[in-house]
Amino acid sequence: MERRNFLKVIGSSFLFNLIGAKFVLPSDPKVLSVAEGKDYEKITKDAINAIGGISKFVKPDDVVVIKPNIGWDRTPEQSANTHPLVVKAIAEECIKAGAKRVKIFDRTCNDPRRCYETSGFNAVFRNMRKVELKHIEYERFKNVKLNGKFLKEWELYDEALNADVFINVPVAKHHGLTTLTLALKNVMGIMGGNRGYIHRDIETALADINSVVKSHLTIIDATRILLNHGPQGGDLKDVKVLNRVVASADIVLADAYATTFFGKKPEEISITVEAFKRGLGEMRLSNAKVIKV
Amino acid sequence: MKRLNLSKISQFFFLILFLFLFVNTEYRGKDEISLAINSFFRANPLVLFSYILSNFSFTWILFPALLLTFFSFFLGRFFCGWICPLGTTIDFFSKFFRKKEKRIFHPHLKYYLLGFLLFVSLFGINITGLLDPIAILVRFLTFTAFPLFGDIVKSGWVGLYEILGEKRDSIAFLYDFLKSNILPFRETIYPLAFVSFFIFIVILILEKFEKRSWCRNLCPLGTLLGLLSKFSIFKRLPQNLCKDCGDCKSICPTGFEKDLLQREECILCMDCEFKCKFKRVRFNIAMKPDIETSFSKRRVFITSFITGYFVSGVFKFFRDGHDSRLLRPPGVKDEKVFLQKCVRCGECIKICLKNALYPAVFTNGFYNLFTPILIPRKGYCEYNCTLCGQVCPTKAIPQLPLETKRKEVIGIAVFDKNHCLPYAKKVNCMVCEEHCPVPKKAIRFEVVYERDYDGKMKELKKPYVVDELCIGCGICEYICPLTSKAGIEVFKSKELSRSDIYGYNGNSKIS
Repeated sequence: MERRNFLKVIGSSFLFNLIGAKFVLPSDPKVLSVAEGKDYEKITKDAINAIGGISKFVKPDDVVVIKPNIGWDRTPEQSANTHPLVVKAIAEECIKAGAKRVKIFDRTCNDPRRCYETSGFNAVFRNMRKVELKHIEYERFKNVKLNGKFLKEWELYDEALNADVFINVPVAKHHGLTTLTLALKNVMGIMGGNRGYIHRDIETALADINSVVKSHLTIIDATRILLNHGPQGGDLKDVKVLNRVVASADIVLADAYATTFFGKKPEEISITVEAFKRGLGEMRLSNAKVIKV
Repeated sequence: MKRLNLSKISQFFFLILFLFLFVNTEYRGKDEISLAINSFFRANPLVLFSYILSNFSFTWILFPALLLTFFSFFLGRFFCGWICPLGTTIDFFSKFFRKKEKRIFHPHLKYYLLGFLLFVSLFGINITGLLDPIAILVRFLTFTAFPLFGDIVKSGWVGLYEILGEKRDSIAFLYDFLKSNILPFRETIYPLAFVSFFIFIVILILEKFEKRSWCRNLCPLGTLLGLLSKFSIFKRLPQNLCKDCGDCKSICPTGFEKDLLQREECILCMDCEFKCKFKRVRFNIAMKPDIETSFSKRRVFITSFITGYFVSGVFKFFRDGHDSRLLRPPGVKDEKVFLQKCVRCGECIKICLKNALYPAVFTNGFYNLFTPILIPRKGYCEYNCTLCGQVCPTKAIPQLPLETKRKEVIGIAVFDKNHCLPYAKKVNCMVCEEHCPVPKKAIRFEVVYERDYDGKMKELKKPYVVDELCIGCGICEYICPLTSKAGIEVFKSKELSRSDIYGYNGNSKIS
């Protein structure tokens, strides 16, 4: 290639990045919606519709993976797991948009059978068409090259990697080590192996993984949040009912916004800060368009 | 018209029931398990006798065993020929052995064995479970057969994934059905799997020498029922072989010694009546006393008394030992009482959700063989689970309401600061704190600012255990991300708790 041509290509791609990304591409990732109300299915759908509707993310015949937090043997009221009704609403929207299949799973911390049962997920998804609530099968973890700063490679779950759409649905709650656990940390649920290892440098590790596993849509369940003794809780005194659901295509922005529910600033959460620095999304709320429903 | 032999039908029925209950002794989505294999132990007179002798008390959960004792008193050893699943299994495999027809056991050995077991119980050491036929069968299934079965099916399923990949999902419903109804959730081949297998196989191989060799010569439950049936009024008539036929001797799986039916060995299978060419044999109520073959009861009594006394003395030495890692299932308070009740059937081990329980091999001496111990590095006690107490046939593990069980102290977690990362390497970790299930957190941390070994100032979270809240469930040790030895470990000893060091004043400051 001649030097002149090379410069042309470089120059035009730079220009495209600068201008095109803002004006040519249709989706504006810096949009976030918050819906409030007591009907959790309705507010979930409202939040999705406010950022453009599910059909912006899910195309007909897509295989969708919804990754809620079902990590603990705790009831929905105790706020350690994502509320099953929030997930139900998302699954229904996906099917309405023509999804071929919706898979729901989490690598749990407590006994998986108990978690799926106590969290209310078994009851909600037992007979839903096209929706599969699945247990993790260890043969499906694949070693993936991450080439990150902390993690060079790790075992990740193939169904999550193979999905056309990956929807990240955490519950907003307190966490001892990381202060809060939100969408960026929820991705730990598709990690195999000895996950506790990444606690040594958790913000770097999570940025490493989130750079490879992209959440196309992030919906944060803040219908009730756990203020203390997370991520398991267990005491209803630590639970605050907010009746809110947050939706955004930008995972960092969703996390940053949900942080404010706890009276904290996004800069206080090292996971969010690291992800922002690595270009995974926007954490400055002043730069975002927040749609309240 | 061909008559059906009722005993065979009954055997088949009870074997199926046994297997059903066995498979049902597994968490299948319900917090309560109403039907479990423990019913077979609760109807087991040997369990009843050893329980009463070693505890000097009776418990109503063993009422079915009392009933069976009562019926055996009148009807004889019908349990062996109509119900016992081990007997049925033996009958089934017996066909595959060519008989040598040789008595290899002394005919009175079983009385010594039973006497020994009962006397040892009387002196407070309950080891009858080691030789109880139902326990032998359940252990074989729990530790060896069932996990192997699960492992084979699982390997096949995993193998399919390697061949088909995602396409395997189209037949996932089949596997899911098996998984949720029949298969074990986890395919753990337990320690002592081989020992359990070996005992079971030896019992089958004994069939080489005579039919129902185990039942006739060794089985302590059968012997006990045989002794009870001495007084039974339901008898086979005539008691000896007929001079002109004598077929009964070859038909009978157990009872003829010389030409006389041994009452204590007749298992009432009624094959002889069923197959009698002359329709002479009858099972009926008869008051006529038996013709007895005599043996020295006094000698059996004295010998087993003495051996029982000395052996129990030796076992007591081990029982009272202190192994700091001897963790028992939740709710067990007194090691001595626990061992007086435990049947060593392995049900708690089978049902344990997170595979925390394992059969003891030599923990605290061989007296603990097959009793459940909790090994936190392998699995932990699930906070909201009460299953082990539900299935324990003798309530050696008490059945507790969930609220109570959550507060049961199994042991106490202790940090090993030479291994725990924040202490040893000045690296943040806190996986244990994250997993601690106590709502107020029995593991907490203090935030300190320290220079790490590279000289950089660092915010460090250093965990500590709140002794008053720790229940010793072991999830911290289980989940500790260190790959070999955990940085936190659960110990039996309570000496570390603050109340033991400073004296308990009744109002702990920790909330």
